[in-house]
Amino acid sequence: MTETPTELTLTLDGEQVHAKDGETLLDVCRRAGKEVPTLCAEDRVDPMGSCRMCLVEVEGQRRLQPSCAFKVQAGQVVQTASDKVKRHRQLLLSMYLADHELDEDDLPRERGTGNQLRQHVLDHGTGPKLPAINAPREYRMENNPYIHFDPEACVLCNLCVRYCDEVEAVSAITLAGRGAKTTIATADQKGLLDTTCEMCGGCIAVCPTGAMTEKPSLASDFREEEVVRSTCNFCGVGCQVNLHTQDNKVVRVTSPPAGETVNDGNLCIKGRFSMEFIQHEDRLTQPLVRGDDGALHTTTWENALKVAAQGLMGVKEKYGADSLGFISSSRCTGEENYLLQKLSRAAFGTNNCHQCAAT
Amino acid sequence: MQKHNANRPAVMDLLEHHGGLAPGVSAKVSEETGVPEADIYGVVSFYTLLAKPGVARVCQGISCAMAGSDALADALQAKGEPYEKVSCLGYCDQAPVQIDKDMELTKHGPRGSITPDDPALPINLGGQDDASYSALKAFEGMDPDAFLDQLQGSGLQGRGGAGFPAWIKWKAVRNEPIGTRYVVVNADEGEPGTFKDRETMLRRPHRLIEGLAIACKYVGATTAYIYLRGEFPAPRRALELALAKARPHLGGLDIRLTMGHGAYICGEETALLEAIEGKRGMPRLKPPYPTQVGLFGEPTLINNVETLACVPEIVLRGGDWFKNLGKTEAGSKLYCISGHVEKAGVYELPLGATLNELVQAAGGYVGTPKAFSPGGASSGFLPMEHADTPLDFKGLTKVGSMLGSAGVVVLNDTVDMAAAVRWQQIFFEDESCGQCAPCRIGCRMQRQAIDAFIESGDVASLEHTEDLHWEMEEGSICGLGMVASLPLLTAQKHFPSEFEGS
Repeated sequence: MTETPTELTLTLDGEQVHAKDGETLLDVCRRAGKEVPTLCAEDRVDPMGSCRMCLVEVEGQRRLQPSCAFKVQAGQVVQTASDKVKRHRQLLLSMYLADHELDEDDLPRERGTGNQLRQHVLDHGTGPKLPAINAPREYRMENNPYIHFDPEACVLCNLCVRYCDEVEAVSAITLAGRGAKTTIATADQKGLLDTTCEMCGGCIAVCPTGAMTEKPSLASDFREEEVVRSTCNFCGVGCQVNLHTQDNKVVRVTSPPAGETVNDGNLCIKGRFSMEFIQHEDRLTQPLVRGDDGALHTTTWENALKVAAQGLMGVKEKYGADSLGFISSSRCTGEENYLLQKLSRAAFGTNNCHQCAAT
Repeated sequence: MQKHNANRPAVMDLLEHHGGLAPGVSAKVSEETGVPEADIYGVVSFYTLLAKPGVARVCQGISCAMAGSDALADALQAKGEPYEKVSCLGYCDQAPVQIDKDMELTKHGPRGSITPDDPALPINLGGQDDASYSALKAFEGMDPDAFLDQLQGSGLQGRGGAGFPAWIKWKAVRNEPIGTRYVVVNADEGEPGTFKDRETMLRRPHRLIEGLAIACKYVGATTAYIYLRGEFPAPRRALELALAKARPHLGGLDIRLTMGHGAYICGEETALLEAIEGKRGMPRLKPPYPTQVGLFGEPTLINNVETLACVPEIVLRGGDWFKNLGKTEAGSKLYCISGHVEKAGVYELPLGATLNELVQAAGGYVGTPKAFSPGGASSGFLPMEHADTPLDFKGLTKVGSMLGSAGVVVLNDTVDMAAAVRWQQIFFEDESCGQCAPCRIGCRMQRQAIDAFIESGDVASLEHTEDLHWEMEEGSICGLGMVASLPLLTAQKHFPSEFEGS
């Protein structure tokens, strides 16, 4: 039996708002259109409350509280833009800047598909400029072809680690070290290929600052990219992908945001990284039929299907239907697989049909 | 993601067994426990005793630093012996100290002193430890509500540092819905200047065990944990002996001793719970509080060693008796004193005793006193104008300091305040867990600021210390970040002439 959560009312920046028992202050703030900056919050994982960006003022609490984790209560009085909250945000951003790779304008460097820390600095401003802390972090040698990690652009929100554990159940990475030495690491600082990592790249997708980025797309400026929605054709799930293109070439693949499509913001190694085939010179883009000269020649679909049908029928007539076998690709959808077995059984009369992902 | 039946709490002992941080160890422990290899690497790299196993350790806490622990480190360096300089080892009364790879004391100064035997004192470190468990028996004959009245009436405040009324937590855990609950003893004593729990466990282990047994019976726990700091092998032996002797009195109560592995932050109660669970010692967000969601997600009562050790005598002699022992607040208190005094040690005095009274018990000052920390590094520094200020929970807060764990350190006029500040800021930088940005970044910045000031004499090095303190105080997840700037800030406030620069 599920109970309907109790409705309650609280005061948010002087206005009465409604909420349900169990919601967080951040849920309420977002619904009310409040601009509460976050770095370590993400709906698919449990709140950690460690980045401290989303702190708000809650009456009766001695200190500012993390809205991502703090639960609503009836009669609460919450302020998201008081002088105290503003001072906190600016000082915290000053501190983050002292522990982050900056560009020539003293702003957090842009990487990947953008840097939320940079946006927060532009939106909320900073306090005094603080000297760089030069944190003594441990680096690891990475030879994997896809995932790049730069500790100098990491804010240790731990989202990559939590995603890897809580969403993918892979746990290839961890927070390691202590204090200012803390960084994101693998066991024994091995390369990702030597861990349980499945190269799904989800760590890249959830990283707010681009500390985790697609290695093949490192040189690409995301602002120059055009985004085209498509359906991944590596399997039948139908994951939605955003193809980022430049000069009509795919340079990066991302997922639409979580909660919008069947893949809920997730992709696998193929969907995210195996994009070269699209422009590969060996890719077949039109039907080919082998001529009497032994070479392949372009032709029409009508002719290609005719030649294939004649060939298969010829084999059936000469050797019997069970001399034929039909194997469909794991990239086919359920409907396509259905049609293939229909073709096998009804058109040619054999039960020799198989789907390559079935074994 | 860990396997369903993963044996997470075993992780740290196994890491220790396999030799700590070394290639392949995380993989081995992962196989043995079902916890992911990366997670285990996260744990082993967090705790200093695991991250750098098998070396000598020299204390660089303030009392040891003042007593010349640098010379110990230099001697090891000269001999080419591997060693590590570490945060306070909890032997400030015997400064300067060094421990070997098995955590045993190998170098120390004169042994510390204690208050002589006085049966009128509730803990009475100098007395014969009593293994009769008569208080436990008396408790069993009492109505639980009547007991709570005594506990409330005693005014006992948590002796770990926060000074929170003990009875509120006890009552809260007892009143949780029926189910598993735990009692956890915080014996991870690590605040520079503090060593009272060490002496209590060494000299009066039965007081602690009896208090713990009463707590378990009162809240309805059948399993208890004592989380003891890893650098305390002698208290460990004393507790193990006492536990064996106490067993017939405990009615099947399961008391488990869990050793720490070198992380001051695990003295923070929720970080301590994480450590018992086999995780990195990173404090949890509060709320929820441990009384509701504690160890393994169950309601948990967490008390300091000294707090529990006060309970047996409260049961036997009543709440009023205990309360009246105090001067400005209830009860007596174990005060630790070290630094520039004649007889460093642990003295049980009425709560609210002043520095001058405490130093009188400790045989007087050495040299001309200039400053003191009333409650370890976290309490900052106070000038001698406060030598007659009651050392209690409320009063010290009013003067911008705190009693904390009552680890009093006296500095005489041979000590440069900037150098003293530096020792404390190194401590906080080393011991910040690194989880939240204000503390992780701020602790390093404050240490770098005092370093820069000492090196250059330029006051501009210190221009942002107040802003940083404000943000660390307001924005940190736990108490460490909130107080980590106090040594620097209070020294600047009370000793401005030493921070004018050159």
